[in-house]
Amino acid sequence: MRAWRNREGDRSAREAQVLGWLFVAPAVAAVVVLILYPLVTGFKQSIRSGGFLFGEKPGYVGLRNYKDVIHDPTSQSAMRHTVEYVLLAVSLEIVLGIAIAVTLHRVFRGRGFVLAVLILPWALPSVVSGVLWRRVFDPDNGMLNSVLMQLHIISHPQVWLASGRGAIFYITLVHVWGVLPLISLIFLAGLQSIPDEVYSASAVDGATPWRQFRHVTLPLLRPSIAIALTVGTLLAISIFDEIYVLNGTALNTRSILIQVYNTTFVEADFAHGTALAFLLAVVTAVFGGLYALALRRATV
Amino acid sequence: MNGRRGLIGLAALVVSASLLAASCGGGSSSSSGAGGSSESIRGQTITVMVPYDMPQKLLNEFTAQTGVKVNYVKLGWDATHTKLVTANAAKVYIADVAEFDWSFTGQFAGAGWVEPLDTVLPKPLLENLKNTDAAFSANGHTWAACYSNDFRVSMYNKKMFAKAGISSFPTTFDELATDVQKLKAAGIQYPLAIPMAATEGGVTPWYLLTLAMGGQLFDNNLKPQFASPSSAGYKALQWEVDALKNGWVSPGAVSLDDTPTFDKFTAGQNAIVLATGPGNMPTANDPKQSSIAGDAQLGLVPGMTGPGSSFGLPEGLSIPVTAKHKAAAAAFIEWWEQPKNAIAIYHTQGSLPCGADALKQLSDTGQLQGGAVVTAELPHVVPLFPSGAPIWYEQFSSDAQGLLNAAVKGQMSVGDALNQLSAKAAAHTQ
Repeated sequence: MRAWRNREGDRSAREAQVLGWLFVAPAVAAVVVLILYPLVTGFKQSIRSGGFLFGEKPGYVGLRNYKDVIHDPTSQSAMRHTVEYVLLAVSLEIVLGIAIAVTLHRVFRGRGFVLAVLILPWALPSVVSGVLWRRVFDPDNGMLNSVLMQLHIISHPQVWLASGRGAIFYITLVHVWGVLPLISLIFLAGLQSIPDEVYSASAVDGATPWRQFRHVTLPLLRPSIAIALTVGTLLAISIFDEIYVLNGTALNTRSILIQVYNTTFVEADFAHGTALAFLLAVVTAVFGGLYALALRRATV
Repeated sequence: MNGRRGLIGLAALVVSASLLAASCGGGSSSSSGAGGSSESIRGQTITVMVPYDMPQKLLNEFTAQTGVKVNYVKLGWDATHTKLVTANAAKVYIADVAEFDWSFTGQFAGAGWVEPLDTVLPKPLLENLKNTDAAFSANGHTWAACYSNDFRVSMYNKKMFAKAGISSFPTTFDELATDVQKLKAAGIQYPLAIPMAATEGGVTPWYLLTLAMGGQLFDNNLKPQFASPSSAGYKALQWEVDALKNGWVSPGAVSLDDTPTFDKFTAGQNAIVLATGPGNMPTANDPKQSSIAGDAQLGLVPGMTGPGSSFGLPEGLSIPVTAKHKAAAAAFIEWWEQPKNAIAIYHTQGSLPCGADALKQLSDTGQLQGGAVVTAELPHVVPLFPSGAPIWYEQFSSDAQGLLNAAVKGQMSVGDALNQLSAKAAAHTQ
């Protein structure tokens, strides 16, 4: 009787296990079809020759495409620009995001309205914000030149997106304008999770607002900072729309993703394009991993 | 117990259905094959992907004649190329009739992405299009049927010329320099409109200037001819840089593509568009679309001692190998190329017909806007690549876009930009 019960129990457990697998199977299938299969196909593409389009014999070439793109001066400058976009964008987003969040954390009249307005740039697709900002930066009829000339700050119209560093700075501003609401909201949520008692206790101990900010707010905001760093970095690494709309594929502002697009879809060089895309994916994954580690440390 | 088994069975069914759907999703449909009779195509629906508008009335006429419905998709020119490359590389259906620019010839024919049309279209039709055939021929086949006989010609604002006391369009670059000064003196801040962005439209003026200054980009062996300071290509780029420095062209031109540049001309901000298509004349003189309607005139492209050479940028219709209804697609191309329809399309979307019959009808009936200049420019039109655009043209164009743009922005000298471009181009032919 007992043996029969045990057999029945085993079968039950097995069936439960099978049922569990069957339920997760659609999700697993979706991951395999939509993520793993393209990844494997893409990687195979990246280690094959450019093929007949470029007069090469089709076949596997090992890591040659990766070496090519690493040594290509245009890809190198695109990598440099991407690092500049990331450093500039993330720094601005963290500093301004905390400042906005601290301001909005206080209760004041019209706070709801300010919050609603703050979210607007995030709600706009980046292509749309790029088109809006193109009107601001337009050298002939742009708002920026017009205002600065009326204020006698500049004497003649400037071509804002023609210079190297300057153009990267202006494009980063457009990117930050779009992402800042999200980062601010992340910090605002972090601030709201800090108990008021901590501030009351530090005030009793005679802490000034600045010391409270340094020794209470910032340490307790660490998880939010880690999240904001992750989101900000990943969004800045994949910057594309703002650059493409404002300055096309110009060399002085070309990011790594624009270079991937140009190589893959304009030049139809899928081998080098996917190699570059994989390099970018590895860098992104490393950053993602580091931030995840930081987040774990901050929350444990 | 039975309930649990039923649940497992249901879950298995769901999984099987998902996997079946996933495995069927990317399947290709059967193609009807080219050359079917009109009866066999009746009831089919084709997708036509072209970057210009088409009146629904005309499409309805095609449907009434053939029984084929048309799903007409208008896309931007750059988006068209990207979407075609992506779909063709993935071997998935995108359209039955697709845009085919002269610059696609090497890339698309080399990759086998389109059907050869010389085996599908009637001989008389191909004969009628033979003037533009070279642009779409490679490997012994014709890969597209030309529908837009585009070539570069200059356009100017006759009212501004009159204001500056200029009676005719300059025929040489020296005369052009003098007239630009007169136009500036007459209060036109930036007389010339030249797109210089890092786009295909931004490099076209350099191609034109190189030819107009008596040179070529490549020799017959596709060896670059523009790196030497004495070459026409070098002088052409230097001329563009000087035009910016001298204030002939707006500084903002370095970030402007051809369409916004033309928009500024039709808004009355510039007096001369150095390189545009004759098909833009109806737009420039249409009061609904232009502030200078009635004042836009065509001019022959200036040269060193007289009118210079120009080049053609014809656009054609192709049938991708992944098309679902190839016979219906061929029927649509035949219909478009009929003189009556090609002329109607010229009047609505500005695409100058390619067929000799349609051109003759337009000219004979006085419907060709700027007809005398168009007729006079045609003998000066030479191919940019006499043996067809090479397979690596898109790479060359992409490199040129970045490097020429860097030169006009002053981030690189003319010599450095052209030396780098020459080295990259030479590497393609090795």
